[in-house]
Amino acid sequence: MDLTSGSSKVEYIDISHRKMWLGGRGFNSELLYREVGPFVDPLGPENRLIFGVGPLTGTFAPASSRTTITAKSPLGTPEGFGDSNMGGHFGPEMKFAGYDQIVIQGRSEKPVYLSVLDDLVEIRDASHLWGRRISETDAMVKEDLSDQEVHVAAIGPAGENLVRYGCIINDVSRAAARSGMGAVMGSKNLKAVAVRGTGAVEIESPQEFFEICAETRGRLKRDAVAQLLHDQGSLLLTMPANYEHGWFCWRNFQRGNHPQAHLLSGERHRDHFLAHREGCFACPISCGRFSRIKEGRYAGETTGGPEYETLAALGPRVGHLDMNRVIANGKLVNELGMDSCSCGGAIAWAMECWEKGLIGEEDTGGLAVEWGDGDLIESLIRMIAARQGFGDLLAEGSFRAARILGRGEEYSISVKGHDMSQDDPRGLGFAFGIGFATGRRGGDHLQALPCLELTGSFYPGLVEKILGTSAAEERLSIVKKPEMERYQEDLKAVGDSLTQCAFTHTWSFAVQLEDMVRLLKSATGVDYTPEELLKVGGRIVHLERAYWNRVLVGKNEDKNPRRFTEEPMPDGPNQGVVFPERELIPRYYQVRGWEEKTGFPLPKVLDEYGLAGVAEELKPYRKRYLEMISKDHGPSKSKADAEVG
Amino acid sequence: MACSLGHDGKCSPALSRIRVIRFDSEGRNVPTVCAQCTRPECLSACTEGAIRRDVATGAVLIDEDLCNGCRACISACSHSQIGFHPEKGLAFKCDLCGGDPLCARFCPTGALTFVYLDQHLMARRRALLRAPGEAV
Repeated sequence: MDLTSGSSKVEYIDISHRKMWLGGRGFNSELLYREVGPFVDPLGPENRLIFGVGPLTGTFAPASSRTTITAKSPLGTPEGFGDSNMGGHFGPEMKFAGYDQIVIQGRSEKPVYLSVLDDLVEIRDASHLWGRRISETDAMVKEDLSDQEVHVAAIGPAGENLVRYGCIINDVSRAAARSGMGAVMGSKNLKAVAVRGTGAVEIESPQEFFEICAETRGRLKRDAVAQLLHDQGSLLLTMPANYEHGWFCWRNFQRGNHPQAHLLSGERHRDHFLAHREGCFACPISCGRFSRIKEGRYAGETTGGPEYETLAALGPRVGHLDMNRVIANGKLVNELGMDSCSCGGAIAWAMECWEKGLIGEEDTGGLAVEWGDGDLIESLIRMIAARQGFGDLLAEGSFRAARILGRGEEYSISVKGHDMSQDDPRGLGFAFGIGFATGRRGGDHLQALPCLELTGSFYPGLVEKILGTSAAEERLSIVKKPEMERYQEDLKAVGDSLTQCAFTHTWSFAVQLEDMVRLLKSATGVDYTPEELLKVGGRIVHLERAYWNRVLVGKNEDKNPRRFTEEPMPDGPNQGVVFPERELIPRYYQVRGWEEKTGFPLPKVLDEYGLAGVAEELKPYRKRYLEMISKDHGPSKSKADAEVG
Repeated sequence: MACSLGHDGKCSPALSRIRVIRFDSEGRNVPTVCAQCTRPECLSACTEGAIRRDVATGAVLIDEDLCNGCRACISACSHSQIGFHPEKGLAFKCDLCGGDPLCARFCPTGALTFVYLDQHLMARRRALLRAPGEAV
């Protein structure tokens, strides 16, 4: 769909391409690499906004609901790869309408939305929707199309105002949050995409597929981790994160625990705030929460969510512990259409700068940015979404904000300019830490979600089977952590491409690689060995890496925030721990086959993944990167400065 | 998806005999399915004699060999629970899977169950007595 000309066309994806890239994230990353070069402005018409689903999306396979949205991200410094993944029902509906991908390019003159009803594609006026919140937009689009069954992926005011971490939300509360995909959509003057499909996903061997689905769904029902996720949602993390593991991100990660963390526990939420559980399409887990606020100004209001990242970003990260207010602020962030991780991260950065005396009332427009003030957090959220006053600065993300201000960069807990999710490798685990430093979208737990070190011990013999030793089950051990990260990165890339929710195969391990092979074979007839399938995952990871390399990001930028690598955890069960980056990153490079000096994948490794052309293309970029890092030792400073300043 | 996969060998809400109506903002999801009425309007409306009641399960069934795709049953059903198969050009509806409905068998939350009416009613009545005002 070209929004500049208003024209659209349908292209068919041939089988060899499908075999090579699977679908979903794989299709999207490949298309982004091919069509959106290193000099494209992420907020310009040349950027592509790609919605992608995979071969299992919309089927009976457990939790096959996910949609990947990919574009060059406006958030990174320099701007680079971006993608984001959402549950809900949008992706399956896209599939029933007959599409694996919806690719949007160009820029509309006026606000529009896209309506897709099977093969009927229409650009419609959205001037009456502009400025509306997510839930209003959802209701108005359905009204407009006289169809309550359409599934709407929309941006809120934040995306319209090009808040760099504006997000896209479908079904009112299911967010594709990270990487600023909403800002890209806003830059195209595209308010929403509404899909409705009446077709079917054909299955190659229905009986066999049915049986494998029944088996894996049954296993998920009996799975201890999945049961916990059903019971408490991802909020189950609060108690172990704080009291057992010490990674509770208190006040922008200054501490890893707080004595009153139980106020935000999954049990407390379940017993007092849970209205009911929500499942995405075809999900036997239902980790989704639907909450009712009990006390305070917003008592009685209901909302989808929160999950742990939102809870922690608007709770401990900003020094706040009132569950009522966290839920209310989470609802507001969703309604305005922002990534709660980055939003909380930017606010926490401002609060720490205020605490350390680096910013004052002259910077904040008279606001006292004190830790934990629920009213203030709410005001800041509104100001950010509207880009008003101090909010305009915070809307850039903490890293750019610090660069613009010339102060406080050390308190921006971010990687490659992407704000950190609420996870501290000093307590969560060292494989996670590798992913934060090297991942495709900066500091983000979903690069690999290497839960083998978190929940691996729930599955006797699993870690040993995969990595050859059960010692890797220990979170803060360095044993086999680069190998673990590599395995789970590849596995997750496969899951994101199929598309299947990570909670089925990388947090719980009820669905394993072999099951994915069987599901895929019976659904499509395409037969991979487990090794071949994992290799597709590796291919995707490498292409995404090459995307970063092409914007001259490599080894020097593969760095966790200084706080994680140099400040020992001050107290708690993991007191004194720092993330051993100098030891683990070079080992990870070796395991991956990336050049130690530059962090660029070696040509022979790319060749093994069938990416010889990419290897050839990267050569001049490697040369330029070498020149750059020999000139200034800082992480691509000159280029980033030029862009920001 | 169990429904369409079991009946048609493909995954499609449009082919599913049971459909969930979602109210996203309220967080409410309501499954809707054929009630297998005592006096089926679809059966009365069918001029081909293609609709009959199965003695064993009580399900109201459509005989695909006799159905001529006239859609009279679709108009007649006051619950709007009859679908039209786009490939076969015939009406379709819930057949209770011959007595072991897949939707109930694979419902992950227990929201759907397939039980004797009297069991269901008595369990509800018992629960109502235990906790007045709280439905189950």
